[in-house]
Formats: sequence, C-alpha cells, structure tokens
Amino acid sequence: MKPARFEYVAVESVAEATEALADSEDARVLAGGQSLVPLMNLRLARPSLLVDVNGLGALSGFEARNGTLRFGAMCRHRFLETDPAVRRQAPIVAETAGLIGHVGIRNRGTLGGSIAHADPVAELPALLVALDGNVVASGTTGERTVPAAEFFAGPFMTSLEPAELLTAVEIPAHSEGDGGAFSEFVLRHGDFATAGVAVILHRDEGGACDRLRVAGCGLGPIPMDLSAAGEFLLGESALTDGGADELGRRVAAASDPTGDVHGSGEYRRELAAVLAADAVRRAWGRAGSAGRG
Amino acid sequence: MTAVAPPVAPPETTTGTLRREDTRLLCGQGEYLGDVQRPDLKHIAILRSPLAHARIRDIDVSGALTLPGVIGAFTGAELAADTGTFNHHLEAIPTLRQINWSVLAVDKVRFVGEAVAAVVADSRYIAEDALELIEVDYEELPAVSDVEAALEGDSPQLYEDWGDNVFLYIPGPHGDTETAFANADGVLEEKFTHHRIIGLPLDGHGALGEFDPATGRLVLHASTQIPHFLRTVLAEITGLSEAKIRVVAPDMGGGFGNKVHMVREEALVAVLAMRVRHPVVWKQDRTESLTASVHSRQQVHNVEAAYRNDGRILGLRAEIIADVGSPELYVIGAGPAIVTTAIVPNCYDLQDYAFELRCVATNKAPMGAYRGYGQGQAVFLIERVLDLVGEKLGIDPVEMRRINMIPDEQRPYVTATGAVLDCGSFHDQLSDLLEGADYDAACRRRDEARTEDRLVGVGIAQMVEATAPNIHGLAGQFGVYEMAMLAVQPDGKVNVVVGTKSQGQGHETIFAKAAADELGISPDDVTVSDGDTGVLPYGSGTWGSRSVVMGGGAVIKAARQVRDKMVAIAAGLLDAPADQITVSDGFFRFGEAAIPFAQIASAAYLHTFLLPPGMDPGLSVIVGYDSFNTSPFPDERGKMNVAATYATAAAAAVVEVDPATGVVSVGDLTIVHDCGTVMNQVILDGQIHGAVMQAIGQTFFEELHYDENGQPLTTTLLDYAIPTFGDVVEPRIIHRETPSDLIGGYRGAGEGALIVVPAALAAAVHDALVPLGVPITQANLSPPRLRELLRGHSAA
Repeated sequence: MKPARFEYVAVESVAEATEALADSEDARVLAGGQSLVPLMNLRLARPSLLVDVNGLGALSGFEARNGTLRFGAMCRHRFLETDPAVRRQAPIVAETAGLIGHVGIRNRGTLGGSIAHADPVAELPALLVALDGNVVASGTTGERTVPAAEFFAGPFMTSLEPAELLTAVEIPAHSEGDGGAFSEFVLRHGDFATAGVAVILHRDEGGACDRLRVAGCGLGPIPMDLSAAGEFLLGESALTDGGADELGRRVAAASDPTGDVHGSGEYRRELAAVLAADAVRRAWGRAGSAGRG
Repeated sequence: MTAVAPPVAPPETTTGTLRREDTRLLCGQGEYLGDVQRPDLKHIAILRSPLAHARIRDIDVSGALTLPGVIGAFTGAELAADTGTFNHHLEAIPTLRQINWSVLAVDKVRFVGEAVAAVVADSRYIAEDALELIEVDYEELPAVSDVEAALEGDSPQLYEDWGDNVFLYIPGPHGDTETAFANADGVLEEKFTHHRIIGLPLDGHGALGEFDPATGRLVLHASTQIPHFLRTVLAEITGLSEAKIRVVAPDMGGGFGNKVHMVREEALVAVLAMRVRHPVVWKQDRTESLTASVHSRQQVHNVEAAYRNDGRILGLRAEIIADVGSPELYVIGAGPAIVTTAIVPNCYDLQDYAFELRCVATNKAPMGAYRGYGQGQAVFLIERVLDLVGEKLGIDPVEMRRINMIPDEQRPYVTATGAVLDCGSFHDQLSDLLEGADYDAACRRRDEARTEDRLVGVGIAQMVEATAPNIHGLAGQFGVYEMAMLAVQPDGKVNVVVGTKSQGQGHETIFAKAAADELGISPDDVTVSDGDTGVLPYGSGTWGSRSVVMGGGAVIKAARQVRDKMVAIAAGLLDAPADQITVSDGFFRFGEAAIPFAQIASAAYLHTFLLPPGMDPGLSVIVGYDSFNTSPFPDERGKMNVAATYATAAAAAVVEVDPATGVVSVGDLTIVHDCGTVMNQVILDGQIHGAVMQAIGQTFFEELHYDENGQPLTTTLLDYAIPTFGDVVEPRIIHRETPSDLIGGYRGAGEGALIVVPAALAAAVHDALVPLGVPITQANLSPPRLRELLRGHSAA
C-alpha cells in the first residue's frame, strides 16, 4: 500500500499553482489530502505531480460581501465547524462541517478539497447545491464563477478544467427567516454518510415558507438537487408531521441512489425519506425561531 | 520502538490487578514486528491475483528485474522446485480431500488476492513498483462465490479432480433421532445463516526472515499466535531441521485466531531469506489483511427440531454447510465448522442429535479461526430453536431453557458428541442472570414500550465453551499440552518462559502471579517471556481459551517442582524435615527459623557445597503439562471429548429497533461468566469487554462482501465497518467461580462472551419484532440487512 512515484511542488501563489497544473499532464492539487492520499496509497490515483497549496494563506478565512459569504478554498472543516463567526453567519455550514469524519480528518480536510473531489457521498458538495452557491475557479487566464448546479458532472467529476484551481466557494449570507438542517445516516460516527439530506428554507414575516431547497448526498451519482420535491410546502405556514413525511416520500422518489456495501439503492431511498423529514422539521423550526414561527 | 521514556514507573502488580506490560505497550515502547530493524533489510511485496478463478499459463518477471533497487522476483513454479508444500496433516479423515499447496500459487488461482509472485527490493515502494512490471498470462475460469451455488451440480469446480466442491464431509448420527422425531408433537424447520466476517488484528500478519549460510540457521520473526507450530511447518517447507530454525514472535497488536493459521506468506519470507541472503521483511497491508488472510463464520444451517408440547426438545437434525473459501490454509479452516457440530447440544440434555457437515470450497479467501471458533454458530442455532419452539408453544424463553437444561446432578455429563462437561450448575447460572439483568422488570418495560408502539425486546442465551481444546485429529497434528520453563537465578529472581503467546492479553502479569504464588515471592521478582522457540523446546501457543488453563497449569507445575528442590535445600540448611518447611513472603521457614529465598538460590548456584549430598546444582526445570482427559481423535462412533475443561456463560440483552432505519440500540447487556478460578479479574473483565465489542461488531456492523464473480468489495476499512468505542455498550458482568479439576482450577475465559452475546442480541431483536411478526434467523442484523428483512416481510 505505497503510492506510485510522483513529483511534488509546494506553491506560493495561485498563479504558480495554475502554471504548475497547466505544465503537467496528470497533476493533482494537494489540499488536506484526506481523500487523495489514501487513493494514492491504493494506487487508484496516480498523479505525476502533486501541487501543494497548503502554503496559500490567501485561500483561508471568509468574508461577507453584498449578502454573499465567500469562503477561501483552504478553510479547514474544523475551522468551519468551530469558528464563532462562521457559526453565527453560516450556521448550516458549521453544522455540516461537523458531520465530516473525525476531528483529525476535519483538522486537515478542506472545503475546496471536498468540493473539488466531488465524492457523491460527501456532505459539503450536497450542502453547496442546497444553498445554491457558487464555485470560484482560477486558471492561467483568470477567474470564473460556476454555479453549483453546473459544477458537479458525475462521481468524482466536476467542470473544473485540468489547469484550474478551486479558490473559493460562495454562498448566500444567513438572514432573518432562514433555516437549514443537514441530516445524515452513518453506520458509525465519522463514516461517510450512507445517505444525507440538506434542507434550506426561508419563512417570511408571516411564517409562510417562501423558499425551500433540498439536496442529498449518497442519493445519486452527484449531489442531487431534490428541491422540486419540496414545492408543495411553499406558501405553507405550518409544517405538519404529515407534511414532513410527505416531503420524505417525495425526496425518496426523486432520488437515484445505487447500492454498495453500505446499503442497497432501496435502503438509501428509505433513509432519504427519514432524513428529509427530519431535516425539514429541524430547518422549519430554526427558520421560525426568530420569533415569527 | 521510540526512545521516549515512560512517564510513570511500571505499576505495582502485587495485587494482580494492574497489567505490568501496559506501561511498556501503552507508552510506545513495545516491540512489534514493524519495529524489528536490521541493517540491509530488504522488503517483499507480493503480486496477488485479480481474478477469482484462473489457470496460470505463464508469469514473466523479467520486467521487474530491470527496475533499480530490485533484488529478485520469484514465481510459484520457480520456488516450488526446491521447497516443500503445505498439507493439512489429516490423513486420518477419509472424507477429507487431501491437497498440497506451495508458498505461491503454481498452476491455478482460486481467489482474488491469492499470492502468485513476489519481489524483493530495497524498499516496499520499489517492490510495489516492480509488481506492476510482472506480466501474468491468466486463463480466466468461471468462479463461484455463493456456497449453496457451489453445491449445485453445474457449479464451477475449484479442484477438477474432486468432481464437486465438497472439501470435507462428516456425518454425525448421534443417538436415535428417528424415534425422537416419531414421538414428537411437532417439528420446527428453520434455516439459519451466518455471514462472512473477519477477526481483524490491527497489527496484521507479517514476518522478517534472517538466514545465516555459515551456520545454516534461520531466524523468523513472525507475528503469530503459534510460534512453535510455525517452526514445525517451516522445517517442512524449507527442508531445514527444527534445530536450525528459531521463530520469534514479538509483541503483537492482536491475533483473534487469524494468526493461529500459518499463512503461506510466512513460509515465503523464510524461503526468500534463504534465496537472497539478505534479511527480508513482509508486512501485510490492510487490503491484504481484508482480502488475503483468514475470514470466518460463514455457515448455513438447515435445522429440524422435534419437540413435545411441554417444551422438551426430543431430537435435532442439522445440515451444516460451511463456506470455507479456498481450503489452502494451515491449520485447516474447516476446524471451526467441525467444532460447530460438536457444540450444538450446548447446555441442554439433547442426546438424539444428528448432523451432516459439508465444508464447501468457493472462490473466496480462506475461512478459518476467529475468536469463538465455530461455537457461536452452534449456540445461535440451539438458542434460536428454543425461542422459536417456545413461541409456537406459548412457553417463555426462561422456561424453555429450564425444561431442556442438563440437570445439575449429572456431572460429568457426556453430550451427544462426546464432550465431557464438568461445568457448574446451569440452573443457578440462569438464576444469577435473571436477577442480575432484572429480567422481569426488563420484560415489563418492554411490554409498556409496546403500548407506545416502540419495538423493545429482551433476549437471553446460554453457552458452553470447549476451552483448552485438543483438536489434534480434526485440525492438524497439534495437541492440547503446554510447556513452561522456570529458572530461579542465583540472586533469587525468577525467569518464566511459556509456550503460549500473548497478543495483548496480559500474560506477563498473570504468569508472574502464578509462579510467585507457588514460590512464596512477589510477582515483581518474576520475569515472564514467551514467543521464542530458541528458549523453550515446544509450546502450543495461544488460542482456544487455553493460555491460563494450560500455560498457567504448566507454570504452576514448574514452580512446584523448583519449590520442592528449594525446600529440600532449606531442610538441609535448617536441619528440619522437608514436610515441615513452609514457604511464604520470600522465606523458607521451620518454626522460628527462616532462610531467605535468595539465599537458597545462591546456594544452588554459588555455594553448592551447602547443598544436600548428591544434589545437582541449579534451580531450573522445563515441564510439559497435559490434562490427559481429551481425545485426539473421534472414537468409532464419532464421539470425542474435545477440551480439557468447559467454561459457561449466559447473557441477557435489551434492545430497541428503529424500524425506519433498521438501527438497533442495545440498551442493556448482562453477562454471567464462569471460567473457574478467576486469576485476575481486571484482565478477565477486559476480555469480556473486548468480546462484547466484537459481538456488537459482527451482529450490527461487519460483513465481508463478494460479488457473484468472486470480486471482494470490502477491501479497506472504509468498506469493512468495525465498531468504534462510540458504538459499544459496557456490559454488567457477574462472575461465578466453579473450579475445574485441573491445576489451578481454571477454565478458559477468552471467547465466551463473543460466543453467547450474538445469540442474546438476536433473541432480543426477535423479541422486539414480535409485534411485526418478523422472526430472526440470521446472525447479520446490520441496519441495511434488518431493513431488508423488514421490507421483505411487509411485502409478503
């Protein structure tokens, strides 16, 4: 269980990184390394060059601008989970980051790495879809912004070009009436989710739901946008048990999971129903907890 | 091994409660195989078959030899020319297929992961690079991975000359089942299934070999539970005499039965050390451990139980099918299934019992030992039968057990298969369980929960475990005995060497206590070693819950012999009759007169003129210790007493099932445990805690998956889920102590909880699902499998 031979370069700027990526046939970006390095040890990934971006301090932290939160790609999961400002301004990001792996993994793993790796069972890509966020990518010719809906192309496949570096992730800032929840099923604490569902919704001043988005991990080849399943709740001021369970049924029906050793497609669908009902209940309560519910 | 000093002094062990080895092991000062370093050490990597079943047409290693840093590349055919082969040493069983196999596959591969070629290189990195340059020309053959499919007439055959895939067939017609079934009021027919799992030591198999051509001596450091057995096998493979081979088993991070087998890679390391004339090491990586070491448990049972309406089980017929995967494993992987057949009657008076055992080869990794060794499947069978029959008859589980239990007054009780049970009262043990678990209150809470539509269940199970077994004629040429060496040194300090091999069980602590108690000294004055065939002529290793029983017995026997000699010396010095000398607190006493222990020791070595006339100098012995009560082979009726003594346990579990996700929460677990004299309760409780963790793992988490073509799907610990500390429950433990008749009064203790707890968990889940009417007949109750069961039931 040793990796094949590879070259290694630690870069000091985004430009240097994108040039290194452009110059090499099979280069891969090394961020937290929590997925890439095990794959290399199994020789399932065989990059010719590792471009280590851990020295790019400019890709850390986050800032709020015009109702948008922009997170640097090198934000570690543990930072997202524990930083007081993140917990206040993007509580759903903090909740979701806390579901990833174990503390040791969260200390190293990064937001950009998880999004770019595009594992269909990973939490953060599904959350990005639920939040209708954007991915910011830098190439040798400049920067572009890709909506989450267009970013994920398949299992472990994205619309990033080989010479592009994912530098930032943008999501809408948390505002009055927002509520979100991420519910997942893991066999053991710290495992990849067998299935997970994120529900992001907004309730207006009267308490009626005027926006509801749903996305899932482990429920299809990419993080699945399942928002259509929740349209029936728009305009509702109260969430009944029947309504939550109905959302679960619709999410399950809209899912397209395949089976593996952790559970059959059918089992994942059953989980999706349970998880969606749980997530919408929690999100609904949170959206109303500002005293308007 | 690190250079960091331990932060605290070694704990006092005079109370026998703390493990003296823990300071060393927990502070990173143990020496595991991976810590053994040699100058000029070369690394072995092994090319493994990507196909489940194929003929090897040709292997070309020339590409690998061109890579800088590669010392050599070897194929099975090349090595076979001058090395011996493995075989099962079971010529006495006429219904066993006799096979021989080499250190690497030669003509055929029969599972994904089978070793086909090896590279020796300067580093493991280079060696793995070189593997990619080896070209193997395979002729792929159809594979069979399902055991029932392997029994079909049109199945692919692993060994064409067999005519089928039945590796071993044993019929066991005990008693008179025909009459029993004729007299029955009813017959229960059920099929029980046990899924494939693995006893997975964190520290996998591995070996480091050194060969000195000048002396012709081979040293193999191997992470093995059975160093002396391995030496015997290495002699067969290498052609060296056992006197020229030394096997050293270092500290081990677990074994669990996986390392009671001598895997072909260990012999490969020895052979390559002799070929390349460098020290060489191979360390199993995690994928190798999951796909190419020793799997366990997988069986199918088709059972018919004849019962009377009063709850008495009159007779039982069991067709037991074991999926042994590739049978090329020594000791034989069919052993656990043979033991399953022997243990089915358990603690019940069931003389009319007939079984048919088929051990079936499939295109999967070999199956073999894992803590419990087939006994858990037997206990699951009979305990499920009792509950299912009781359910039909409206008799509760406790009553069903009391009706069928072996009466207290029948001791020893000889079971249908010949086991001579020397156990304590099963009735009292069950009473202790019901009281300890507050069983009636648990049942009341279950009934209340049901009124709230919650699926809560209570289950009980009991077991008898064959401890310190002798399976000479069923699992290879090795017996039940143990050896120990004890030497009192001139300064009065003591060395003890045992033929057992600790994998982390605390043997240094318990054997020091055993010797010290006999010698009347402090355990702190006793140094214990194991795992070195260069020190002790032979030993049987650690497996089968045997180490305290047989190793402890051997140490006590050795200590008594040395003490007797010291008493004779003291009698001379004190001018007293030997039978009036007492030994305690480091002194030999006669009335008011006392001589320190150390003074006797110095007399024996340094002041030998003080010894009684004609007495030889020195204070050391090597003893062999046998229980003399086991059968090496079945008798003409197929009966044998497999074990030196039998331990017992009973368990009660309370669970709640979430029907939506299939998740089972274990709310409460009580274990009553009788391993005879308790030598060290801290260590014993630790054994039970670990076994409970593994019981939870095999019931709710673990499953090895293969697809229908024999491709393994669980190749990393992302795929194979062993429980973590957050997933387990702490059991309530109640000890009963019914001493055995053996030295020390010990019975085995290592496996019982893992044998009995899965059956109790299954009973509890079954009970929880009573409102849904879903019976539990499978050992695998993981969330997806339980959902599958519930889904299938609601669809039906």
